[in-house]
Amino acid sequence: MKDFWVWWDKTRGTLVLALRSLWVNKLRAFLSVLGIIIGVAAVISMTAFGEGSMQDALEDIKRQGATNVIVNSLKPPDDGSSQRRSFIANYGLTYRDYDQFLLIESVVRSVPMRIIAPQEIRRLDRMQQGRVIGTTQDYDKVNQIELAIGRFLIDSDNDQDEGDSRSMRNVCVLGSNVAEMLFPFEKPVGQTVVLNKHQFIVVGVLKDRMALTSSSGLQEDYNNDVYIPLRTCRARFGETVFIRQSGARGGEKVELHQVTLTVEDTDKVLDAGAAIEDMLSTSHLRKDWAVTVPLARLKEAERARDRYLQLLAFIAGISLFVGGIGIMNIMLATVTERTREIGIRRALGAKRKDITFQFLIEAITQTSLGGAIGVLVGFGGVYLIAWASQFFWGVHVPFLFSRRPVLISAGASIAVGIFFGLYPAMKASRLDPIEALRHE
Amino acid sequence: MNAVVETYDLEKTYFLESVVVRALRGVTFRVDEGDFVALMGPSGSGKSTLLNQLGCLDRPTRGDYFLAGRNVSQMDDDQLSDIRSKYLGFIFQSYNLLPQYTVVENIQVPLFYQNARLDDRTHRRCVRLAEMVGLGDRLDHRPMQLSGGQQQRVAIARALVNRPQVILADEPTGNLDSRTSDDIMQMLVKLNDAGKTIIMVTHENDIAAWAKRVVRMRDGHVETDVRNIERTQPSHEANEEFLQALSEILAEEEAEAAA
Repeated sequence: MKDFWVWWDKTRGTLVLALRSLWVNKLRAFLSVLGIIIGVAAVISMTAFGEGSMQDALEDIKRQGATNVIVNSLKPPDDGSSQRRSFIANYGLTYRDYDQFLLIESVVRSVPMRIIAPQEIRRLDRMQQGRVIGTTQDYDKVNQIELAIGRFLIDSDNDQDEGDSRSMRNVCVLGSNVAEMLFPFEKPVGQTVVLNKHQFIVVGVLKDRMALTSSSGLQEDYNNDVYIPLRTCRARFGETVFIRQSGARGGEKVELHQVTLTVEDTDKVLDAGAAIEDMLSTSHLRKDWAVTVPLARLKEAERARDRYLQLLAFIAGISLFVGGIGIMNIMLATVTERTREIGIRRALGAKRKDITFQFLIEAITQTSLGGAIGVLVGFGGVYLIAWASQFFWGVHVPFLFSRRPVLISAGASIAVGIFFGLYPAMKASRLDPIEALRHE
Repeated sequence: MNAVVETYDLEKTYFLESVVVRALRGVTFRVDEGDFVALMGPSGSGKSTLLNQLGCLDRPTRGDYFLAGRNVSQMDDDQLSDIRSKYLGFIFQSYNLLPQYTVVENIQVPLFYQNARLDDRTHRRCVRLAEMVGLGDRLDHRPMQLSGGQQQRVAIARALVNRPQVILADEPTGNLDSRTSDDIMQMLVKLNDAGKTIIMVTHENDIAAWAKRVVRMRDGHVETDVRNIERTQPSHEANEEFLQALSEILAEEEAEAAA
């Protein structure tokens, strides 16, 4: 215990001395740690911006569902077989594929989707362009969507009872934007809209849903969607979708545009994705499908982030090394300048290790103060840049502070102090007391 | 009388690039407790080399040196540092105070390297010593703010703080005018009167005249070693307070040592 207090007195005294010596040469001390300040500030701000943008991407992917596998129909590139001059392109996922997906053991939920787009959605004299999506009740669970009012589709909407006129009901759920455009003054639920000359009763309205970037890089805007039961969709719209574009006539026959499968556990997602790919590549002659596994994208995004951080660490290492050389240089100058002091201390009883300790502490104090300033400058810089880009250019720059770069910077600053301070400190301790005392 | 310093055939040879300098050529020398020795001699006579040896700043090439009964001639660097911090007090020509420290902190430096706790008691002791040398109103001044005489008085206080066996003074008045020199010498004499052993290097005869014994060196040998009969006597009216404070401090020390 006494040893500790003796050590503590000595360390405290040395620390106070180091701070005073640095204070005497404020400008010099500042300039010599400038390299470290800049290095640390750069690392702090770059990681904050990097993590921020990566965080956005990861959130995006998580919204697609980490346990999901998304299978899309893809219009195949024109090949020789399509030279039969048919207007109608026949491709994509089929109901048979969908039934097969259900055979995979780990799949707990699957949602088929037909997308009819663009489609006019009418209400009296109002009209809104949007997409009509035929799907089943699980759609809302898989996509984590929230209702503003009413209910989502339920399975009985899809029921097809023999002789029941109420089967394949003409019900629909509106995206928030559609509801707003068509029903600016009334409650939409219970009202009707017209889709492809058929009346549909509105049973629910969704909350605003954030657009997400799909694997193809296109922004999908969900707020102009209208959801109807899949069977109703088949009955009312048929299997062929005609597209009229500036005089050219074309049609597409696609049974299912997308199937979203939910797997019971994230561990099994990648396997399920691979199984589906296998399945589709044997049953389809052309590559008219695409499998997206958000988790795989997540992993890839994380790998990209790790690469970014590694690169950053490398650059930070170089700048800290350069900063460290600056410290070493200034410490060597300090030792020469204070040779007399070293001689006095030796004469008054300081051991070599006391001298080493003193100058090492001084170097470490200097670099850790530099590191601390660098962290603060980094934080300040991030806020400044984020504010400035918002203010002047209206660009939102995402950033995220995490503890790790701060801890690493602190550790690295201290390490630089030790590494580059050790040689000058040793040199100081090896001075001959008599020579040092004679030094002017 | 107990011998505090004893050297036997002390030799020191410097091997420079092209020449071999024999600075000490067998010095046998003894200083008893309570003595006040002036080391004199022309430059190159080896008096500074001898003082460095006595101050344990260097090891002899050959010979033995007993400091307070310990043979220090074979000790390693760390042990010598220990000896310096515990048994020796230094007073230099150019004061050699540490510029970053205040008066009190400068006095405390030798204790810093003694592996002792630096508590309120040590602080009070340093303040007492500062007051004793007449700097009670300048405790927080830096050396830069003090005159030469004041700096040397801080150095004297610093040399006393670790209760040394021997005080080594290297031309203590070399940078001072004659009046201030007198002040400093009076203090040293009073310290000596109080029982402190002092070894002082000087080349001025009237400074050496304050000492009890004068040792003259030449070419690395002790040439003459005489008792100083016509010793300069300190004026009685001066430094009354100093003597008072000194005897108090020494009494306290003795009481502490007994306890």
